[in-house]
Amino acid sequence: MLVKYEFLKILRKKSTLIVMAVSLILTGFLFGLPIMQYQTYNQDGVIKGADGIAYEKGQYVDLSVPLSEEYVAETIREVQGLFEKPDNIGYDGNEQFLIGDAYWNGVAPMEKLLNLIANTYSKPNEILGYNNLPDLDIKDGAFFYQTMEEKIQTLLNNPSRTLSNEQKEYWSSMADKVDTPLQYGYYEGWEVIISSFELLMFALLAVCIVVAPVFSGEYQAGTDAVILSAKYGKTKLTTAKIVASLLFGTAAFILHIVVACGLPLAAFGVDGWNLPLQIANTTIPYPLTFLQAVLINIGIIYLVLLAMVGLTLLLSAQMKSPYLVLIILVPVLFIPMFLTPNGTTGAYNLILFLLPYRSTMPEFSKFISYQFGGLVLDTLTVRAVLYAFLTVIMLPLARLGFKEHQVA
Amino acid sequence: MELQLQDVRKQYGEKCAVGGVSANLVPGVYGLLGANGAGKTTLMRMICGVLKPTSGSISLNGKTIEQLGERYYTHLGYMPQDFGFYPDFTAREFMLYMAAVKGLDKRQAKKRTEDLLQMVNLSDVADKKVKSYSGGMKQRLGIAQAELNSPSILILDEPTAGLDPKERVRFRNLISDFAKEKIVILSTHIVSDVSYIADTILMMKQGRFLLQEPMSTVTDDIKGKVWELLVDERTAAEYSRNFSVVNLHHENNMVRLRMIEETAPREDAQIVEPSLEDLFLYHFGEETVKQEER
Repeated sequence: MLVKYEFLKILRKKSTLIVMAVSLILTGFLFGLPIMQYQTYNQDGVIKGADGIAYEKGQYVDLSVPLSEEYVAETIREVQGLFEKPDNIGYDGNEQFLIGDAYWNGVAPMEKLLNLIANTYSKPNEILGYNNLPDLDIKDGAFFYQTMEEKIQTLLNNPSRTLSNEQKEYWSSMADKVDTPLQYGYYEGWEVIISSFELLMFALLAVCIVVAPVFSGEYQAGTDAVILSAKYGKTKLTTAKIVASLLFGTAAFILHIVVACGLPLAAFGVDGWNLPLQIANTTIPYPLTFLQAVLINIGIIYLVLLAMVGLTLLLSAQMKSPYLVLIILVPVLFIPMFLTPNGTTGAYNLILFLLPYRSTMPEFSKFISYQFGGLVLDTLTVRAVLYAFLTVIMLPLARLGFKEHQVA
Repeated sequence: MELQLQDVRKQYGEKCAVGGVSANLVPGVYGLLGANGAGKTTLMRMICGVLKPTSGSISLNGKTIEQLGERYYTHLGYMPQDFGFYPDFTAREFMLYMAAVKGLDKRQAKKRTEDLLQMVNLSDVADKKVKSYSGGMKQRLGIAQAELNSPSILILDEPTAGLDPKERVRFRNLISDFAKEKIVILSTHIVSDVSYIADTILMMKQGRFLLQEPMSTVTDDIKGKVWELLVDERTAAEYSRNFSVVNLHHENNMVRLRMIEETAPREDAQIVEPSLEDLFLYHFGEETVKQEER
């Protein structure tokens, strides 16, 4: 009963409706932008919007195949063959590229796949395109998966990463679990979602704004004396306020996720949900499909949200006004936006990757790991554990803060 | 039932808001009088368990608030001074919410809500949002919520502040209706409010009880010291400077003075029956004037 009333108190406020409406519209706009701006090309020019998406999907019909060693080798050979004819080649002063039908028929339909293959053979920090494929020596075979494994080893051994042997071993054994040959296919909708996760920060902020007055609003309105002198004021009511806040946060989060994921998936389709992450970047060590990756990251963002609700409630129980709560919260949420990592190791970077803003970004290909003695954990696990822990710590503290509040 | 205050003290740094107050309160209406800043609200908050005393203890039937926990609050109804409402709730929703916080079951909550809204004459507007209510309506809703759990201790902090005379009379009658067999502590600096309904007067000054007396004998101390006399305006001004004048009333070109003095200020001065207001002004006259000047 008390939870119902506390939930109603949150929902009834005009400010709640306004903040939620603005946040949902903003989330819809930001996650809808890639759809609105989507365009692809063919020989006839630019194809935008739904037509562009349909055209691109059509190109993938023939590409939805397992990337076997033979298929990769054959694909590379085809591109090398195109480069053997001088009529097909253009030169911009720096590099060669294919022109005319050779490009539009031979490369354009599978340029993303060709770039993926080319980059598997690239050095760390080097970005290659299809026009680097002729440089590959594949007389004895493509050795695609061996190259993929070697590249991961090269990345792990890169001196700038300063990974311990245990960490290298952790990532190697994780990468070994990736099923090969990789199944290729269309995955645009999932890529949009994964690359836009940090935009959910506005949803987190919106929930915190709504929850900020849960305790401090009582102090500000002068209702604290009445409820704290009632039988359940310091006990069940406090719990009800926390439960109602978490319920609201969860409901608001689900709504935002529906918008954030629903729009790209409605526009681009759910195709690719069961494809491995590695078809976007072969150095990703996580053996996950796009759907699994998205669900895991949504789970982590949810835990970040719960911890932020916990922090908001803790501050709310201690401060006399919801505005004071937000004065502290907004920097906590948004200052990390302006802090750029200078690597993936070292205390500064490791802390930065755990802050709320960075924690919304999955960073699947960065090999960020944390070592506690002999135990190595990846960034996703550490984020999940950290934010679950913070939630568990902060909610009882918020409860205590309200219980001990002195009406003065 | 006995509510015991034992050397209750509240200190804010160097400032002593309540300094060692003791009293044994049994059922009856207690008028807690004192100038603004005397410590009335602080004392009431401590009795209601929403402010911890720096030292001393508050007990009900021999058990402290801490020992009783939730059980203490089931006995308590509190209407704080200027307490807020949830503007987006209707009066009925607010009452049902407060009933839930006070631990009433659904059936009881509905019945008490309807009965009390009827009693405070808010039934017709029970489904209107509280933000549309006048000050008097909010005060009536305030006392209704305090009564929800049929408390045996009813604490009312300045319940009539800001009400017009008609509303104040109405409110006093409500309090009288609710006061049966309860410990009611009614804080105010409007003396006439308590003079009608209080059984005992508790007078606070600078954080301490100045007196604790039954209403029937509270003015005994100043009996034979309250004088009235008719003087011209020039004399009235002089007397106001030199004597403890508690009231001035202009009658044609003359002024009727009411003053408290040990002896007759003039031969033609007449002794009159002392009132609670005389007693209040006798103790707080200067403070009241200073506050008004501020």
